Amino acid sequence: MSNQSFERSVVPEILVVDDSKVMRDMISACLRSDPNISVTHASSGLEAIERLSLGRFDVLVLDVNMPDIGGLEVLEFVRAQDKLKDLPILVVTTRSDDVSRERVLAAGATRYLTKPFDPQTILSEVQALLGTVPAGVQTGEA
Amino acid sequence: MNVDLREFRAAFVAEAEEHLAAVQSLLLKVERAEREGKRAPGELRELMRLVHTVKGLSAMVGVEPIVALAHRMEAVLRQAERAGGLLNEQAIEVLLAAARAIESRIRSVAEERSPAAAPPGLLAALDNVELPAPEALAELPLDPLLASKLGPSERHQLEEGTLGGKRAVRVDFAPSAEKAAEGFTINTVRERLASLAEIVKVIPVTSPASGKVPTGLFFALLLLTDATDEAIADAVGVDPADVELVLLPRAPACASLPVDVEDDACLAEGRGGLLRVEVGRVDDAIAMLGGLVVTRARIVHAIDRVEAAGGDTRELRSLMLDTARQLRDLRAALLRVRMVPMAAVLERLPLLVRGLARASGKQVRLELDVGSVELDKTVAERLFPALLHLVRNAVDHGIEASDERVRAGKNEVGTVRIVSVTRDRNIELRISDDGRGVDREAVARHAGAPPPVTDAELLALLCRPGLTTRGEVDTTSGRGMGMDIVHKVVVRGLGGELALETRAGVGTTFVLRVPLTVAIVDVLTVRCGGERYAVPVSVVQEIVELAQEQVVDGVSAGRGFALRYRMFARRGRSVPVFDLGDALGTPTSAPAPHALLVRRGDGELVAYAVERVLGQQEVVVRPLLDPLVASPAVSGTTDLGDGRATVVLDLLALTSSLEATRGRRRAA
Repeated sequence: MSNQSFERSVVPEILVVDDSKVMRDMISACLRSDPNISVTHASSGLEAIERLSLGRFDVLVLDVNMPDIGGLEVLEFVRAQDKLKDLPILVVTTRSDDVSRERVLAAGATRYLTKPFDPQTILSEVQALLGTVPAGVQTGEA
Repeated sequence: MNVDLREFRAAFVAEAEEHLAAVQSLLLKVERAEREGKRAPGELRELMRLVHTVKGLSAMVGVEPIVALAHRMEAVLRQAERAGGLLNEQAIEVLLAAARAIESRIRSVAEERSPAAAPPGLLAALDNVELPAPEALAELPLDPLLASKLGPSERHQLEEGTLGGKRAVRVDFAPSAEKAAEGFTINTVRERLASLAEIVKVIPVTSPASGKVPTGLFFALLLLTDATDEAIADAVGVDPADVELVLLPRAPACASLPVDVEDDACLAEGRGGLLRVEVGRVDDAIAMLGGLVVTRARIVHAIDRVEAAGGDTRELRSLMLDTARQLRDLRAALLRVRMVPMAAVLERLPLLVRGLARASGKQVRLELDVGSVELDKTVAERLFPALLHLVRNAVDHGIEASDERVRAGKNEVGTVRIVSVTRDRNIELRISDDGRGVDREAVARHAGAPPPVTDAELLALLCRPGLTTRGEVDTTSGRGMGMDIVHKVVVRGLGGELALETRAGVGTTFVLRVPLTVAIVDVLTVRCGGERYAVPVSVVQEIVELAQEQVVDGVSAGRGFALRYRMFARRGRSVPVFDLGDALGTPTSAPAPHALLVRRGDGELVAYAVERVLGQQEVVVRPLLDPLVASPAVSGTTDLGDGRATVVLDLLALTSSLEATRGRRRAA
């Protein structure tokens, strides 16, 4: 598993980074439907970097295109740090973003999701990154 | 799973609408900057952020038309950012159109209707926006860390900012749990700095953990500011010594050059240079001047009373004459600050006409002949939409398709010409086309009125609210304002005149005559029906002593005004004389021996008889905005110096309303 070297918290903590409040709320609502997941928000790439340096998170859900410093810059920055190089990261993009899947993965994303997605998909992706279900398999819990 | 994304629709609408409003106001800000020849890289980056957020949100709720529009807007903005923060008028126009299109689709989502597809023409226009190539950048002496992270937009922002007298500083913020407990996080630091400085760039940097950098992470913040090091340090929670000067403001650099070598350049900049002033500050000063004008009128009244009581007022009178001249000079100086060149107001028209011509498949040439005329900014802002409408009409309805023009023996390229001249204290704008002329029959048919005989009657029909000669709304002229609004803007809003000359097959000319300024007006004060009124001097051609004229009763059959009137002859033409009291519905039995002679837009003369002409003075006119008391014959109220509100009459509108009554009667 990709996050083996990562010490698991009691309740997995997910950091959701998006500059849109509605998007953050939507993603948290999806993730919080699993009672074993706790969610923290960051409204910018800079805040995400700060939070990652101060606390510990089990999965990072990252919007690729943000002001100041975008998702790709955050990815590169995170991967350059020893203590964060194995953090599972789910990158969220918009179909029309000029960012290819390859580029996102090359920059260090673990998984990749395109808007619009349904609530189940993002939950399954995050659960897969937590190692609670294998990637790409539906939980059937719907 | 019980999460339903539809629950987020209201939140989506609220956030998207908020962003859209910000996008539109930022675009207008960029447009203003552009007109002043400035860049707006900070605004541009904020625009990119907002548009992108709208795109992401819309993708999430599956509103593809918005995604398509926002995506292209983003591309245009990114191109502009690479060019260092430059957008041109055409690009702004297209971006504003796209923002409006997105706005209307958000409303559809709010009303649970499915939003219309993105207009293909608009998508193509966004794709075809051409922006200037990036300009070469001056080398800025920056340390390598900053230099490697700054894009062209940020470099331009630094250049612009230091040129504007700000200094660029760097301050590092190292987050930690302790700092967070004291209220210092990157978010709060940025919020606090936002009121002190422009944040040009924030760069996260890792370094070996130390006392100053406990977590091994710090943010290097690059700021443009005129705040002190202490204020900056306070906002970031560091020592003032840690605020590092990166770039000096440019102006001091100029001043510090050896005077004997470079003084010419420096002095030239100081003396003939431009000073950018917020319009609001000039308006404040003009409002204060308005107060002075009123006070002066009060003093004159007081002197009248002293004189009536037998006091010697000669010295006071002569001082008051000096004051009057000084106030006039001060007013002129202040109003000059507000003047903008007509050429600058019209500079976006060529692009617009090109776009209109392309959209309608016609060939159109725009000729501008406006010389160096300048006009008040407020007048310019109010006038421009009316002008735009007339130009659109000319291209859309006036100019024929090329083949039709060739058949009619005309040049296949149509011409729209705008000429402006100043006359007295008015600006006259003539917007003419060499097209097919206004179709009187069609206008009459649509208005449900008999065909107009004169151009003035035709114009009156065209200016009826809601009139359009098109079966359906078309892409350009159909939207926005109609001729009735043009009329309102020019005549009611600006106290100007609108006239029309048109000949079938030859072309159409609209003539707009508006005052160069609106703040202070010279008025004649008159009395009639026991009331006092003010009339702008600019509309009164002459004060006629009716006793000197051969006055006869008017013949209703010929001119058919709604009111009883008399007539006298002037330069071979008969001029109707109305009693002003009668016309205003306050008839009086007192004799009205004087008449104000007014020339209407169509050149016809009309006179209004009054009991007394009291005097002439400069006043500040306050428009009547309350629709309950607003009347077409009233352009506002003013204080003549005695603290009472006096009505300022719009005699041209009064004449029209007397005629409108006649029109209704004849049509009935």
